[in-house]
Amino acid sequence: MGTFYISDDMAYDEDVVVLTVGGEIDYSASPRLKHRITDHLKSDGRHLVLDLSWTTFIDSTAIGVLMGAAKRMHESDHGTLAVVCSHEKVLQIFEISGLDSVITLYGTCDEAISGLAMTG
Amino acid sequence: MESRAEPDAESPVADELRLPASKSALGPARRYVEETAAAFGFDGGDCYEFAFAVNEAVTNAIKHGCGDEEGTISLSAVTDADRLMFVVRDYGTFSTPSPGAGTGLEQGRGLALMVSFTDEVRVSAKPGCTVVCLSKARA
Repeated sequence: MGTFYISDDMAYDEDVVVLTVGGEIDYSASPRLKHRITDHLKSDGRHLVLDLSWTTFIDSTAIGVLMGAAKRMHESDHGTLAVVCSHEKVLQIFEISGLDSVITLYGTCDEAISGLAMTG
Repeated sequence: MESRAEPDAESPVADELRLPASKSALGPARRYVEETAAAFGFDGGDCYEFAFAVNEAVTNAIKHGCGDEEGTISLSAVTDADRLMFVVRDYGTFSTPSPGAGTGLEQGRGLALMVSFTDEVRVSAKPGCTVVCLSKARA
């Protein structure tokens, strides 16, 4: 159990912005996640790392938000979306929903930032 | 040999939770499922999966259905010897996914995920009442 929270944008460097999302991302929380990602896409062309290290639950509406964000970033001149997650069940949900074939998943934030640096 | 009917939506209800037909119901619904499934003997992983699946059904009830005259939806638990079933009942009319909705980028995954995390999902839809039954056998 955990209350949903989302950090202020945390600029990691000139190429990457990290957004930390924790707790449970269900239908009551996913619109807020979508709003924050949309804000990022409007104002910032950098790569986006969603750090879900403290996320314990994610539902299909949140999966849809992540899928939509990845598509919008891919189709625009914006950077790439990467997701950090190590929660066994959340990873299983990503796998069943096919999210892991659309968005690159990393085990830690450092790995995500290194991985994005290699994509340019 | 006497055959034992499997639980269905008409089986005696072991326990029932009335929830507001609003997003605020989701957290309490998951807690209720986790606690009920744990008390029935499911391990932590199975409890999580059950809570996930029921959360999807309750989300659908909130998104597409509506509450009764008091604005509530019903979440009940039905058991037999080794099977636990949760029944989500709302008072809206089930909206059939339109062709292609299942492949939509931002929606249409809920049912597939429900099926993945339970043994059986049954949907019974009549005008003004939709019932989703999700069951799972104890190992």
